[in-house]
Parts: sequence; structure tokens; C-alpha cells
Amino acid sequence: MRVVSDIELVPAWVPRHATFLQAAEMLVSHPVTAIAVLDDDGRVIGLFADSDLLLGVFPRYLAELRHTAFADDDTGLLDERARAVAGDPIVKHMHEPIVLDESTSATHAAERFLHCDHGALPVTREGRFVGMLGRAELCRAVLRRSR
Amino acid sequence: MNYVAVAIFVAALAVIAFEWVHRTKAALVGAGLVVAIGVIELEPAIDAVDWGTLGLLTGMMILVGLTERTGIFTYLALRTAQLSDGKPFRLIFLLAGITGLTSAFLDNLTAILLVVPITLLLADILRISPIPLVLVEVLASNIGGTATLIGDPPNIMIGTAVPELTFNDFIVNLAPVAIVTLAVVTTGLYFAFRRQLVVAPERVAELERLDPARDVRESRYVKRSIAVLVGTIVAFFLHAPLHIEPAVVALGGATILLLVASDDVEDALERVEWSTIFFFLGLFVMVGALEERGVIAEIADRLAEATGSTVGQGMAILWGAAAGSALVDNIPFTAAMIPVVEQLQADDDVFEDGLWWALALGACFGGNATLIAAAANVAAAGVLERNGRPISFGRFLAVGLPVTIVSLLVATVYLLLFQL
Repeated sequence: MRVVSDIELVPAWVPRHATFLQAAEMLVSHPVTAIAVLDDDGRVIGLFADSDLLLGVFPRYLAELRHTAFADDDTGLLDERARAVAGDPIVKHMHEPIVLDESTSATHAAERFLHCDHGALPVTREGRFVGMLGRAELCRAVLRRSR
Repeated sequence: MNYVAVAIFVAALAVIAFEWVHRTKAALVGAGLVVAIGVIELEPAIDAVDWGTLGLLTGMMILVGLTERTGIFTYLALRTAQLSDGKPFRLIFLLAGITGLTSAFLDNLTAILLVVPITLLLADILRISPIPLVLVEVLASNIGGTATLIGDPPNIMIGTAVPELTFNDFIVNLAPVAIVTLAVVTTGLYFAFRRQLVVAPERVAELERLDPARDVRESRYVKRSIAVLVGTIVAFFLHAPLHIEPAVVALGGATILLLVASDDVEDALERVEWSTIFFFLGLFVMVGALEERGVIAEIADRLAEATGSTVGQGMAILWGAAAGSALVDNIPFTAAMIPVVEQLQADDDVFEDGLWWALALGACFGGNATLIAAAANVAAAGVLERNGRPISFGRFLAVGLPVTIVSLLVATVYLLLFQL
């Protein structure tokens, strides 16, 4: 079973000069939890995941706190932060991608997913972006075939 | 071989000071080199490692890490801020006090890692810049940590290397000067920062509306964790009459807490900062090589010749340790200075603790001078940077250096009047 031949990939990506807001809109409008950031040649230079979206919208220090049950929503501050982050270049919020080649087996793709925090990874053909593969899609393809 | 040992140690210090590679890598490469080249044999290298220091650090990291899960430290920080009523004077003094106290009885690096993220949240609620508050906390943590054997890594190293000095000796001899210094420094910081900490009344009301105990109420093992932590601190006070080493107290407390308040040992052991433990390990081997090759004895002899009296030695150690800590990092500097002071002590028939207090005060207070001088400073700067509030070396220096000079002047008066 080969990834690209058997599974439908999601064309979720933004160019490197996109803003945070454009990337966020791309992410929430597709059924995947991460999108690719591409250079002008269509090569994957970064990954923008829902965790990056969360860290952009909410204060980053929340990742270093474990006890915030007392905290109320400070809507003024959240709005201010959302406005400030909207125009940020996406390269400031993306991180190093883990890329799957289209010839990757489903087994290897599953192993990659189990060893990274992302729910979706970019698939490439000859180094160029083809689409995003989600964890659920990968499993669904295997389950369908077994039936 | 003497020159090789010195060259490797100085090179490692330079790499650490300029942050060319992670300090743990620098220390381990240095340790590996001195053993591989034959500056020190493997067995003496293993003997050079102060396992007591490593045990004490590991035990405290587990204890604090498991207690932190209860939310009690967040509660303390938030409640302290609420007590300030948003008044800059109270805010600065209460935060400095609670950070200093926490640093004294946990350790200052842990205290900073606990308190800085909650300070960022507080600053957001109060709509003020977090940087003055974080600076106050970092400086207070280095001063507060000076007060006890377990408060600051230099004291941990001194306390485990010198069995004659007990936990209570540290408190009796260092806590008073630490408290006075903290009061003096905090007053200065208040005048420096008061205009940046003016809080609007509606923001104060917002802060006071929060229920800081909510996390604690929702946590498991709160009572057990606090009981074991407090019990361990009490055991530190009693370690000398009970003839138990401080490392055994810390590891004993950690073991009890693992038994009574931890469902997952793997998770509990992840609370140990293994990079710090290996950093110390590498340092001890490099300093062991310096000792083995007689470099330490030579430094001690020259220091004794240059300074003459105990007063001169004490002043040289105090100011020299502060300068060395400011330029490099107070941990490797203290590791190198401990055998020097031991050598100076060896020439005296009667054990005198004054030089040890000079070293502790110099290394701990010197940790406030620059951004790289103490692990707590580096950790706080890291949290600020990750949150888009970077603090430059120069900005830290502008506050840290005057604070260090004032602290050292207080320490000088104290040592001259009571210790030397």
C-alpha cells in the first residue's frame, strides 16, 4: 500500500509570504490539523499546525503554566493579541517540517505520526508538495481496504 | 599537563560564557578531554565528582517538581499579587519577599521557573510590563537563595563539600545578611521601577476577583505533597544532630513523595533536569583534574601570598568570586574556588568558616551582575524571550551590576564586622 496512490491528500498550504491570518483561515477551512508553508518552487519550508495557531492566538506563557483554572477570559487582551498577530509573517509562527515522500509506505507514515506531535504531515513528490496527509485519513484508508 | 588542564578548563569557561554550545556539552567535552588525554586517571576523576551535590540537586528537583503539580506555588504567587492591592511598593516588596523565601527553601532556579510564567500572566491582567517584575524576582531569587544551604547551587556545592558547615550554620551566618541585602536592594528597585508599575483601579479589581485556590482545590495529593516538602525542610534543619547528609535528606524526601503522591515514576523522574546534573558532573571532573595537577594548590598559595591576612583573603574571595561569577557563571567558578578555599583552610590549625561565607556571598551575589552569571537569570531571560519580551544583556547589566555592587558592599561590612 503506497500513501499517495491509496489515500486522498488535502491541498492545504500557504506561500511563505502569507500572513498568520491567511494561514489560520487556510487551516480552519480544511479537514487537517496542519498545513504546509511553501517556497516559490513549491518546496515545503515549514509546517503550521493547530498548536501553532493556539500559541499565536493565546499567550505563549500558557505552555509554561500548569495551573490556570483561576483564569478568566480577558477578552480585551485576547482581541488585542489577535489583532497584533494577524499580520505577522507566517514564517515567524511555523516550525521545521517532517516530510513524507509519496513513495512512503503506510506503515512508515504511521510510525512518523506516532513520533511527532502533528496530526497531519506534508507529502512530496520529487521534493515538491503534493498534499497534506492526516492521521485519520491514513487509518481510514487502511480500515477501508481491510473491508 | 598543568597547562593542558588549565587550558581545557579556561576554554570550557569561555564556551559557557559566550554560549557557543550548551553548557552541559562544554562541561562534558572538557571532562572527556582531561580523562582521554590523561590529565587525570579515570578513578580519581570518578572520585572528584561530588555525588552529594548531585544527590541533593536530584532530590530537590523531584520534590519540587511533584509539589508543583498541586498548584500551590501558583497559588502563592497569585495570592501575593492580590495582597499588593496593585500598589507598586507592596507589589515589589511582596514579590521580592515571596521569591526570596521560595528560593531559599527550594532553589532559586526552580523558584524562577515557577514564578516567571505566572508573573507574565499577572502583568497581562494588570496591563503593566512584566520586565521590571521579572527583574525584581530574578535579583531577589539570587539574594534569597544565598540564605540557605539548598538555596543556590554555589551553596549546595559548598555545603556538601565542607561537612563542618551544617544547614543551620548557613541560616545563622547567611540569612541575616541576605535579608538585609534583599531589603536594601528591593528599596532601590522600587525607586527605579515604581513609575512603570502603576496599575489602573479596574485592573486591580480584575485581579482581586480571581480565585487563586481553585487549582489547589482541584489537585490530588495537595496535603501529602506539602507535608512531605515541609517535613523535608524540617529534616534539613535537623540533619546535623541526626547525622544525616543533606543529600540523603533531599533524596529521602523525594523517595517518600514518590511513594505517597506519585502515580507515575517515569513522569516524576522527568522533573529532574538531567542536563544540569551532567553539567555538574563534567565540571567536577575538570576541577578534579586541576586539583590532581596541583594547579589549585598553586592558586591558593599565590592567593595567600598576595593577600596575607584572613581579612585580605576573605575580601579577595568575596569580590573575586563575584567578578568571576559575573563573567562566567557562578557554578563553575564556585566549583573551582572550593578546593582553593580548602587549601587555604588546610594551612590553618583551627577551622574558620569566614572564608566559606565570603565565597558563598561572592558567588551568589555575583550571580546578579550579568545575564549569564546565574542559571536563574538565563532561565528567566529564556521565558521572557519565548514570550516576545526579550531582555538584552545591557538592560540586565544596567540593573544587575548596581545591585551586585550594593549587595557586595553590604556583604563586605557584614564579613568585616562579624566573620573575618
